[in-house]
Amino acid sequence: MMYDVCIIGSGAGGSPIAYELSNAGFNVVVLEKGKNYKEEDFSKDELGVSRRNMFTPLLKEEQHVINQREEDGSITRYVGSEAEWSFWNGSMVGGSSNLMSGYFHRMKPNDFKLKSVYGEIEGANVVDWPISYEELEPYYEKVERVVGVSGNITKHKFSEPRSTPNFPHAKLEENGVTKWFDSACANLGFESIPTPRAILPHATLNRNACSYSNFCGSYGCATGAKGSARAALLQKCKAEIITEAFVYKLESDESKITTVHYYDKNMQSHEVRAKIFVVAAQAIESARLLLNSKNIYFPHGIANNSKEVGRNLIFSGGGSGQGRFKFENLTKNQQIELMQAGVFFNRSLQDWYDYEESGKKYKGGTIDFLFEHANIVSRASREFYNDEGDIIWGDALRKKIHKTLTTSRVLSFEVFNDWLPSDECFVSVDAEVEDKFHMPVGAINLWGHPQDVKIGEYLAKKATQVLKEMGAEEISYSISSAPPPNLVAGGCRFGDNPKTSVLDKNCKAHELQNLYVTDASFMPTGGSVPYTWTIYANSFRVADKIIEELKKG
Amino acid sequence: MILNSRRAFLKTSFLTTAVIVMSAGKLFGAVYPLDTMVIAAEDLFAHAKKLEVDVRAYLLIILHHTRVTEEEKTSIRNGAQWLNEEAVAQYKKTYTQLSADKRQEILKIVSKEKWGENWIYALLSYVMEATFSDKVYGVNKNENGQKWLEFAAGMPRPKEPLL
Repeated sequence: MMYDVCIIGSGAGGSPIAYELSNAGFNVVVLEKGKNYKEEDFSKDELGVSRRNMFTPLLKEEQHVINQREEDGSITRYVGSEAEWSFWNGSMVGGSSNLMSGYFHRMKPNDFKLKSVYGEIEGANVVDWPISYEELEPYYEKVERVVGVSGNITKHKFSEPRSTPNFPHAKLEENGVTKWFDSACANLGFESIPTPRAILPHATLNRNACSYSNFCGSYGCATGAKGSARAALLQKCKAEIITEAFVYKLESDESKITTVHYYDKNMQSHEVRAKIFVVAAQAIESARLLLNSKNIYFPHGIANNSKEVGRNLIFSGGGSGQGRFKFENLTKNQQIELMQAGVFFNRSLQDWYDYEESGKKYKGGTIDFLFEHANIVSRASREFYNDEGDIIWGDALRKKIHKTLTTSRVLSFEVFNDWLPSDECFVSVDAEVEDKFHMPVGAINLWGHPQDVKIGEYLAKKATQVLKEMGAEEISYSISSAPPPNLVAGGCRFGDNPKTSVLDKNCKAHELQNLYVTDASFMPTGGSVPYTWTIYANSFRVADKIIEELKKG
Repeated sequence: MILNSRRAFLKTSFLTTAVIVMSAGKLFGAVYPLDTMVIAAEDLFAHAKKLEVDVRAYLLIILHHTRVTEEEKTSIRNGAQWLNEEAVAQYKKTYTQLSADKRQEILKIVSKEKWGENWIYALLSYVMEATFSDKVYGVNKNENGQKWLEFAAGMPRPKEPLL
């Protein structure tokens, strides 16, 4: 059977293509490595979801090798299963979008022209995007409507231009502590922003409303309110989805992909043929698939005669911090507000999306504030040490857990700033380690540019000012070059020059006529926001281009 | 009799094998890791018993869990062996034969060693998992752990345990 489109991966990068193309009448098949879970399959089982990582592969079966560049330039090699270092996010229909928190920010116009606005940075491969914010804006707006984004627009110094006045869905119910936050920001002269979320506050789009279960990030949504690629798109289209299908090779002639080869759960190999192929297996795995698909026309891997595939891998720079609010410092009413469960703490700061220091203009970023995750085992486990750093047990531990968890609550923050692309951060395939399918695993070559940490530190200090003003104690933060596995992009950057990019501006491979890559791989720089909204928007944009191509015949 | 039924229950488990405890290079005796782990878990967090949490049953779940690595299971087993060896070195008795006070002394000693700290951390983590587990796991049937901390677990609850 010849499909019109074959999509590899069913997450935020692949699903908009499946949705748009199948709804336009084309014959679409999606190959997904994981299983299919529906709303009724999701629960808030901390042991299964968070402690045993039920939605990610076992590392002894599928893993990565991590080659970390140290400060002295030496490389330390970590085999994922031995170091228990996982870069998996969510192997399932809809991918990791099922498990996201859904903090949705658009990139800003300057994010599309980082080199032009902020200039070259030594040691970093900063470039402008081949498209502008204005070209992507209609698709950001489309995501708001189709996937569903809730919030309330408040004008601020770095508000991005919008084609509509506000979000199509009202903001979610908020915890009373947001008032303390707003007041503290007003005192400091900061602009508090209600955080947009890809979560529906009411039943609409043939999905149920948020149930305010108090367990959102890391968990599948049992109501369908969260805008996962599965709930928002795949369940609303007729694309054929083949689950537990691990694509291990793309076959091509000199100009076209001809066949995709995949293993089913019984290790039986199958082939799929289509007119157009879309790779969207998440950045690291997409590059790995291309690199593992060598043939006489592409001896370095599909679409890699330029040797650009895998290069300029990026994560999100920044880190996180927190402060604790204790009952002894609060009124009775404040204590009640503090412990309100389920409702959201949706506040962000973007006052320093760019800023000047010592006469130089820097690209800054976003700070999202949120309550510490409700996971009770994790929170209790954080009490295993006393102030001297010694592990404790017995009655001392019992009292510490009870006091901490019943008379205080932690407000956290996450800093998002650019992870600058560089020659030292890239995807390759490992020469020694294979996965259970006997394919070479992806090697993640890690390095973070020093400027990333500098910017992150600047932003974290601003966040701690707010926590202090709110009356929090035990304020701390951690900014580093540690890569967040759920915020990964690049590796197949798009651009106008085939010598320095893998994809053209429409995310079609320069070197092939019918291969597109539509997960976050295309991003040459990441902006200073979580990536999912931009991945969705770009994928909707590319879907329009593919429809144009198919209509041409 | 008890030994026999346990052996039947744990037929396929690595816990069926007693570990050898050495003292000054000589054979001292043998212990079953699970016995040591259950007693140590109670020494570390006796409150779980007051909450009617079945820690022994949960440790069996963990030690047979498909998503707990063999390395983790081996590490737990080794820790139980080394704890006993420390007990023998200090008091010429296995950990399980010691008084409660002396067992606490042994825990304090091994907590200063990296392996000991890691082992205590792992065991405490499993005790917390048992204490706050959904009742579908069968070890916290009355959800007393959640009640103790006035914690409302997320909904919906799991329909079946992940084992």
